[in-house]
Amino acid sequence: MQKRILEFTNILRKSGIRVSTSETIDAFSALDLLSLDDREIFRDALCTTLVKRGEEVPTFRELFDLFWSGFYDSLRDSFNQAAGGLPEGMDLEELLKQIAEMLQNMEGEIGDLSELARAMLTGDLSALEQMIREAAEQAGIERIENFLQVGFFSRRTLEGLGAEGAGEELRDLMQQLQDAGMSPEQIEALRGLIDGLMEAVRKSVRNFTERELQKQNHDYMEKFRRETLLEKSFYHLTEEEVKKMREVVERLAQKIKNILTIRRKRMKRGKLDLHQTLRRNMSHGGIPFELVWKHRKKDRPKLVILCDVSSSVANVSRFMLQFCYTLQEAFTKIRAFIFVAELGEVTHLFQDGDINVSIEQALEGGDVINVYTRSNFGYAFNHFWQNFLSAIDNKTTVIVLGDARNNYNDPKAWCLRDIQTKAKNVVWLNPESPSAWGFGDSVMDKYAPYTDVAEECRNLRQLSSMIDRLVVL
Amino acid sequence: MFESVKSVEERLGDLRYICDENIATVVFLAQRLEKPVLIEGPAGVGKTELAKVVAEATTRQLIRLQCYEGLDEAKALYEWEYSKQLLYTQILKERFTEVMGGAKTIREAAELVGKEDSVFFSENFIVARPLLNAITSEVPTVLLIDEVDKGDPEFEAFLLEVLSDFQVTVPELGTIAAKQKPMVFLTSNNTREMSDALKRRCLHLYIDYPSEELEYRILTAKVPEAETSLVEDLVAMMQRIRALDLKKTPSISETLDWARALLALNATELEADVVKQTLNVILKYEGDVRKAQGELDKLLAKKGGEARAAAPAAEPPSAGTVKKGALH
Repeated sequence: MQKRILEFTNILRKSGIRVSTSETIDAFSALDLLSLDDREIFRDALCTTLVKRGEEVPTFRELFDLFWSGFYDSLRDSFNQAAGGLPEGMDLEELLKQIAEMLQNMEGEIGDLSELARAMLTGDLSALEQMIREAAEQAGIERIENFLQVGFFSRRTLEGLGAEGAGEELRDLMQQLQDAGMSPEQIEALRGLIDGLMEAVRKSVRNFTERELQKQNHDYMEKFRRETLLEKSFYHLTEEEVKKMREVVERLAQKIKNILTIRRKRMKRGKLDLHQTLRRNMSHGGIPFELVWKHRKKDRPKLVILCDVSSSVANVSRFMLQFCYTLQEAFTKIRAFIFVAELGEVTHLFQDGDINVSIEQALEGGDVINVYTRSNFGYAFNHFWQNFLSAIDNKTTVIVLGDARNNYNDPKAWCLRDIQTKAKNVVWLNPESPSAWGFGDSVMDKYAPYTDVAEECRNLRQLSSMIDRLVVL
Repeated sequence: MFESVKSVEERLGDLRYICDENIATVVFLAQRLEKPVLIEGPAGVGKTELAKVVAEATTRQLIRLQCYEGLDEAKALYEWEYSKQLLYTQILKERFTEVMGGAKTIREAAELVGKEDSVFFSENFIVARPLLNAITSEVPTVLLIDEVDKGDPEFEAFLLEVLSDFQVTVPELGTIAAKQKPMVFLTSNNTREMSDALKRRCLHLYIDYPSEELEYRILTAKVPEAETSLVEDLVAMMQRIRALDLKKTPSISETLDWARALLALNATELEADVVKQTLNVILKYEGDVRKAQGELDKLLAKKGGEARAAAPAAEPPSAGTVKKGALH
């Protein structure tokens, strides 16, 4: 039992559920206290000790069903089906009793049959399960990787099990019984039963192989799915993933918020304010009953975000906006602008209503710009320089999101230079990797000198680490 | 003490907390393994109530610590009573002069004062907060740390000592170990993820929205005066409402409120008008109410019991039998 539980925790770990040694020990001591007869209680006990995240519970349940006794259940089902195939008025037990009697008369015994044939005939399912498990292990089942191999491993398992041999034996037995004078109806029933049993064994082995495949693969798929959301490039997100991503972004934003509150609290409480303390405690004759602390102040940054919303960068812009607006309280003021060629302000969209709805509106142009044109960074920066340069002061951090693919237009990098001179920081996040900057129609190399930070931002992990730095910049 | 999983289920059931086997198993294990339980799940499914009911069932005293942003050691664990210490020094001024009377040098005087040092950092001057109270209590207790996710991450850090060893270290006094190990329940709405260190020390319990059958049982136990047919319709309706894409999905506490509201209105059946009027009992956002109203026909049409003969008017709810404000 212990070994099986350890195996199970290993499978859990493989599928990305973190199980520590102390938790495994907890599971053991929990099982000591409970009776193992009740499958539900057994499962709940393992679940409560091993799995500590609500969203991992479904994974646990699936794996639990795959791993524990799920196979036994299906084995039982297919054998019951085989036994249920007997004609009416005939009972499996009675038939077996009669066979045993007749064998005795023939100086034979059921015990002479091979282990497998005996288990099949008497319906000893736990022995059968054990045999299938062993045969499958012999066949190297743990190496199964894809669905095409199911047939191969099933065959090898059946061979290792000696299923055909057992079938022969049973048919011989039937012949003997017929010779010994068993009634034709009974022989007919027996023939049906044997065929049914053979079919059941074959089905069960295949079933076992498929389960094993799921078990090995489950892990892998799940893990794959989870990891990729953080790592996956924004370029290749499906709509479904964009939705899921929203939750992830919210989680990350929450995390950053937490860190911020701690930082701010530490910042808040400065040294003892002697002046105030003495003054406040005059009424106590100068004995300092109440202490007053100095508050340290740190200016929260102002943000100006310039988002390229052309289709190539839309996803980065989407999550950046979501981040910044979820973290609103970390900044004094956020102004958001969108551009493709024209540039327009979308701050007002965010003033009321749901963040996500506002973001979608902004990405569609928000009635301020035409999004169905070709990117022109130079034009957009120039527009900003002419109309909104006053929005920038020495406490403002400017974030530009874009791939700097300018369609061979004039980059007008001097606009960005002027912006940088006025601003506290200019941060450029580019979804392309630095090695592509400056190649083709990319003018990133022209812009990069006028930024304080220029970084690749292709997936969520990079984006969140960027945000984290932003709030302290 | 609970003897078995079954007895947990029964004894909580006696107190009208209907739980499934999963919850019962965890409570049983928590008591036997002397481990804290971290309860997660959506709002209003009875997380806090579970701790309260367990306290009642085991006749332990309930100590509750409500977490919020900015909760710190001084408010959760203990605090030195600075003003009292100062007051005592003022009162005892004369005595100090006496003690130091014999001292010739400043060094000697300081040593003499140093000897009396421990007087001011003794249990007299400590204000115990919930966590320390739970540890030092003479009677067995249930410690409920409510909405632990609302607290700051640093707060988790000093919870760890309490949760794993049931002890508190006060630097000036040393380590105070529990006289009676408390049963600890932590609840979380999952607004943020708890640290792994904390999770490892706890048993984990996820309470989800109840199944139809369980909700039915809860409703009949908590609002016994409601008609069976009404309860059935209500439960079926709630399950369908939860399937809608809502901002805040109603949970069992809302179902109970709704049942009581319907009783107060003397409604014996779920009719479109009544439902429309009372939807705001279960749905807390304007958008959600509008959405549900839009789907109302569909929600009601699927209702099975149309053909049922009109039930006799339900009795008006008697305030005595319904525990006011007690959620599931």
